[in-house]
This record gives sequence, C-alpha cells and structure tokens, in this order.
Amino acid sequence: MAKPTITTLAMCVAILFGAAACGPSLVIQNVDYSQPIESVLSPDSNNEVHDQRYAIKFNVSNLLEEEGSSSVDQIRLIRNNAGYYFVTAAGFNNVYVFETDEGELKLKNKIEITGQGLGQPAFNQRDNYIELVDRASGNTYNLNHEGRN
Amino acid sequence: MKKTINQSLSILAALLFVVSSTVVAQQSDYQIQQDFRAEYSELVNRVDNAVSSEDLEGLNADIDGLEADYSEYSNIIDAALYPETFSDKISDLRSRYAASEQNISVIEQLNERIRGLMEELDQFRDQMANLDEEQADLKQQLDRSSANERRQAALIRQYRQNLEQRDAFVTEFLENLLTKYQSMDASTQSEIADAAERLEDNPVEVLKTIISEYTSTADQSSDLTSADYLAMRAQHGYFADVWDRIGDRLTNTFTPDSPVQERQEVSDLLAAWQASVDIKLWDALSTSFNQNGIELGSFTSSDTFFDALGIYVRDAAEAAVELNSEEDYETYRNFANYWNSTVKGQWGELLIEGNVLTTSQMAEVDVQLGTWGENAPPTSNLMFILFLISLAVILGLVVLLVTKKS
Repeated sequence: MAKPTITTLAMCVAILFGAAACGPSLVIQNVDYSQPIESVLSPDSNNEVHDQRYAIKFNVSNLLEEEGSSSVDQIRLIRNNAGYYFVTAAGFNNVYVFETDEGELKLKNKIEITGQGLGQPAFNQRDNYIELVDRASGNTYNLNHEGRN
Repeated sequence: MKKTINQSLSILAALLFVVSSTVVAQQSDYQIQQDFRAEYSELVNRVDNAVSSEDLEGLNADIDGLEADYSEYSNIIDAALYPETFSDKISDLRSRYAASEQNISVIEQLNERIRGLMEELDQFRDQMANLDEEQADLKQQLDRSSANERRQAALIRQYRQNLEQRDAFVTEFLENLLTKYQSMDASTQSEIADAAERLEDNPVEVLKTIISEYTSTADQSSDLTSADYLAMRAQHGYFADVWDRIGDRLTNTFTPDSPVQERQEVSDLLAAWQASVDIKLWDALSTSFNQNGIELGSFTSSDTFFDALGIYVRDAAEAAVELNSEEDYETYRNFANYWNSTVKGQWGELLIEGNVLTTSQMAEVDVQLGTWGENAPPTSNLMFILFLISLAVILGLVVLLVTKKS
C-alpha cells in the first residue's frame, strides 16, 4: 500500500520538475551594462533623482540618512559592465554599490573611501573597473562591485 | 656625490611621473564632455552672433583648436552626445561658420551698396539744394528787374537754363534708379530692404522731395513761355513713367512696412505736380496761339486742347470752301506756318512726352490741315471775264456787220 503512494508521489515530483524545466529558460550571456559616462543628478525637493537618459529614478533619502547628511547638491551615478550601480556624492565617505531587483535597488556593497568625506568625486568608466577620482584631494580609487581593487 | 645626484634625479623623475599620472587620472570624463559642450556652445554663439568679418576673425582657428583639444576624448564625447557624435558637432560648427561667413559677406556687400546709395543721395541733395538756391535767387532778381526789359530777358534765359539743368540732373538720377531697380528680383529686394532699414533717408523719400520741389517751382514760376511749361509737363511725364516702372519695387524695398500707402502718397504728389503745371500750361498755350493770330476755343486739358485745335481747323476749312477768300487763305497760311514750325517743329517732342498730344492726334490735325489747304487758295475769275469780253466783242462785231448791211 505504501509503495504505490511513494511511487505516485515520486512521479508527481518528477512531472513538476519536468514542467518547470519546460518553462522559460533562455539566458543571454556576456551582457555589458556599462554606462560610458557617469550621470550627475540633482535631487528634487522629495530627494528624488531622475536620470532621463538611462531611465532610472529613485529616492536618495535612505542614502543620505546612511551618510548622516540631510541634503546633497548632486548625486553621481554610474553602472559597471556587470550591471551594478555605483552611487556617491560630495561629502560622502562611501561609495554604495547596488544591484537591481524588481522595483528596487538592493545594497550589494558599501565601499569605504575616506573618513573626511569626498571633496569633488567623479566616476569614470574604465575597461574592467570603475574609477573614482576626488578632484579636490587628487586621489584615485579603482572599484568593482566587491570593493576597491 | 655623482651617485647621490643621480639617485636624487631618479627619485624626482619618479615623483614627477607619479604626480603627472595622478593629474591625468584625476580627469573626470563627465567634466570633459561638459567642458566640450560649454566650449562648443560658446563657439556656436560666437558664430551665430557674428555680424562682421571682424567677429569671425580667429573663429576658424578656435574651431580647429576645439577639435584638436578634444579629439583624443572623442569616444567619451560620442558616448555623451549619442546619437550625435564629436565629428558631427565639429562638422556642424564648420557648416555654421561657412554659412555665417557667407551671410556676412552678403551683408557687407549690401552695406557697401547702401553706403554708396547714401553717398549718391547726399550728393543729389546737395546738387538739388544748389539748384534751388540759384533758382530762388534768379526768381528774386526777376521780380525786381521788371522795369529793365533787357535785363529781365537775360534773367529769364538764365532761369530757364537752371530749370533745364535741374531736369537733366533729375533725369540722370531717375535713369540711375531705373538701372538699379527695374530688373531687381524679389530676394535682392528683400536683402536690400533689411539693410535699408539703417538708411536715414531713402530713394522714395528723395523722390517725394523732388516732386514737391517741382510742384513749388511750377507754382512760383512766372514769365515763362509755353515751351517752358511743356518741358515741365514732359518732365512730369517722364517721372510718372519711371514711377510706373519701378515704384512697386522701390516701395517694397525701401518702405516694406507701408508700400501701398507710400505708392499712394507719391501718386498724389505726382497728380498735384501735374495740376500745378497744367494751370500755367493751358494759359500759356492759349496766349501763344492768340499772339500768333489763332483764336482757339478755351481748353483746360489735353483732350479739350485737341478738341479746340480740331474745331478751329475744321471750321476754318469749311469757311474756306464757302467763301474762298484771300483773307481765309491768309488765315490758313498763318496757322499752317505756326503749326508746322512752332507747334510741331519746336514743341513736338515735349507735347508727346508730356502727354499733351499724341502722334496720332497730331497726324489727325495734319490731315484736316491738308483738306483745309486744298480748299483755301481762292479761285481766279480772269478767264470768265475774258470770256465775257470776247463774247461782248463778238456780239458788237455781229451788230456792226448787220447794221452796215442794212
């Protein structure tokens, strides 16, 4: 009596896996998400930034809170070839690396750059990394989504 | 020691390399493309706002400089400008520069033309002012010298010469206008119209002034003959003809805001000028014919003048047929002589140019005059008298023979 039940259950599971295997399985490899030039965005009164060119809009309030500042003039944003967003601003100590999800940006990494706050940060897209320059201090940092190179 | 110096130099070189690498590395791609955009916009503004060749000076070199400075960043700029490219932008800038250079060249040519026109107008005004002054002076002298007939005659001659000189001068000016504007196309009209906005005075205004001066000359003239007034009328006819040919172009070019109103003003002035000349002309013509023993009926226009001539010749021709007198023949000879030598001979061209008589009207008078001429010579009675005498002699001889026989 128990054997047929187990057999039936095993078959059901096999059918379910089979059905799942027959679903969408197309994967495109080697996608380059890199944004050639960083976007420099000014938050509106609701702390929202909108990049018309690369079609992304989000609120920076949580970032400001994380950095312990109430406002910022410009947010600098760039996306690397793997598709991670790098975000920072003048006065920030860190670069925030986000990965995209459905309707959200999830923090992938928080890269500490300095304890004194960046003076005039700027991102440059380079071959295999994101270059962060602080034109005020003259320092340069090479970054990827896992941290500093 | 030498080794220490070499070491120091090596360290210094290494430091310089690091510093220069850092400087290069500190460039922001975003800033580069922003700087390019700013410099490009500034050059576009300079090209678009250039209004003289001085404004364009150095711009071509600056465009070359922009291209040279940013060509190494063309990939960054291409990415930032997508779908446009760095080379698109430089090409666009060069095209704008070429167009601006072309426009400025056209503007400068027009400015040159306007300057030339202004100089011509100034010279014209000066010359007219001199002639006006001379004319006013002669008129005053004429008024004062009424007692001295010889002197008055000399002054009238001088006054007439002044009028002729003025006519020749204005005619030259009008010929000049005709040459310039008669075959001008619409686009040139429009270009000159833009440049002509800077003119203090323009040819239309000058023409209005000339017409007004002619009118006042006609109003003030006295002691002049029919030939003088016919010359004024001919000048008016020429002026009206020139205006018909280039009036539209001149008003569209120099008074583009109100061309219809300007045309109407000039037409009104031309009509006033003709009226002033006509008042004197019909009186002078009537007097001239009267002084030569030709009593024409009254006339106050070209048509009534032609009617008066026709009626005079027709009536005289009919009288010649009826009466066939020596006196009528003398009237014919007097009219024919005056008509041929003075009216046609001296005034012919002026009568036609001034629209007083047409060639066909003059030919019509000639035909009537021919008919009159055929009937005018009185017929001789000598042969009839000789016939009567012969008849009387024959009758006398017959009577004598009969009387002798009986």
